Amino acid sequence: MIWLLILALAPPAPQAAPEPGARAFQRCAACHSLREDARSPAPGLGGVIGRRAGAVESFAYSDAMRAAGRRGLVWDEATLERFLADPEAVVPGTDMPYQGGSAAERAAVIEWLRRRR
Amino acid sequence: MNRFWIALAVPVAACTVGACTLPAPATAQEVRYYELPPGGRAHDVAVTADGQEVWWTVQRGGHGILNPETGETVIVPLGEGSAPHGVIVGPDGNAWITDGGQNAIVRVDRRTREVRVWPLPPETGPVNLNTAAFDGRGRIWFTGQTGFYGRLDPATDDMKVWAAPRGRGPYGITATPSGDIWYASLAGSHIAKVDLDTGAATIVEPPTPNQGARRIWSDSQGRLWVSEWNSGNVSVHDPRDGSWRTWKLPGEAPKAYSVYVDETDKVWLTDFAANAIVRFDPVTEAFESFPSDRPGANVRQMLGRPGEVWGAESGADRLVVIRRGG
Repeated sequence: MIWLLILALAPPAPQAAPEPGARAFQRCAACHSLREDARSPAPGLGGVIGRRAGAVESFAYSDAMRAAGRRGLVWDEATLERFLADPEAVVPGTDMPYQGGSAAERAAVIEWLRRRR
Repeated sequence: MNRFWIALAVPVAACTVGACTLPAPATAQEVRYYELPPGGRAHDVAVTADGQEVWWTVQRGGHGILNPETGETVIVPLGEGSAPHGVIVGPDGNAWITDGGQNAIVRVDRRTREVRVWPLPPETGPVNLNTAAFDGRGRIWFTGQTGFYGRLDPATDDMKVWAAPRGRGPYGITATPSGDIWYASLAGSHIAKVDLDTGAATIVEPPTPNQGARRIWSDSQGRLWVSEWNSGNVSVHDPRDGSWRTWKLPGEAPKAYSVYVDETDKVWLTDFAANAIVRFDPVTEAFESFPSDRPGANVRQMLGRPGEVWGAESGADRLVVIRRGG
């Protein structure tokens, strides 16, 4: 009984802070989901690492993004880092604007996405 | 800067150094482009009431200022990590900026260029601050695309943030002539009216499912015009009778990004698929297209003053103005 009382009065275990990648993904999640969702204004990002740019058939990409894919742009850690740092520089004419965030945030979200294939 | 006089969609320009000119027909529009410092990716634009300054958001942390007479530009840094999205002219004549990078509302004093930053409460996390509008009580309302909207009273520094009723999506925002505030939800495909006292948002559904209501603007009658990204429509809602009307933009698969209504109640839209600014006349129900002379111009927003409308070509590092002539 005493133990039960102690357990009942004990403060709750502190909640783990969201990992930096998940927190950084909050910026992306304004438009992107991990899965394809016809209601989303942007393509799903599950499995984006290793995927050719503009390759989700069901999504209405910009002509610029589809052309970039045809030219051989594939999303890996390096290309995603450059794209997130300056989307227009990597894919001129892309619909996606710059979203801000530090280099550390970009690295965190790329690593987080890498684990969600 | 480059200048065109055009009447319809396809301008034929006679060019000299730095300027291109067309004969001006009776209903001419003057189209002029202003080059901006490269790499800034101008997102939103605003023009002061006197027309002497045009402001744009430099996506990498600056408040851009253009002198439209000379074409000279100045960029005011906004702070560490800044990534501004929207800029408007406040009732005080100053620039009010939604800065997603700093997760803050930022004011730049027009006279002194002093920068003041109001950060959002840290517990909200980054909300992807998007756009802002002032109500009739001197308070600025803003949207956060990750699923929030909020209000700042600059007189008291009181800031409140609310979770949007259907989560992610709040994007464009507008004030009606009577001071009501409405926002559009891109991911949520709806518009919502905000109660100015309680902050509660009431959703209104456009008739087209999953239309992607991106930006919203009020006309002089308080009707809400909506640019629909997914459907390629422009629609209008009249809160007085609850009615909706919808029109498809020209072209095979238009992508309506922004909407702005000028002082004559003409509706200006931008269409990424057509790489064009499009003007819609609600009386004749006719569209008129103003394609950019550069590919991928991506005008993400328009704003104006009587006689002129401005757009920011984020993909071309330029501002564009269309002035009525003739």
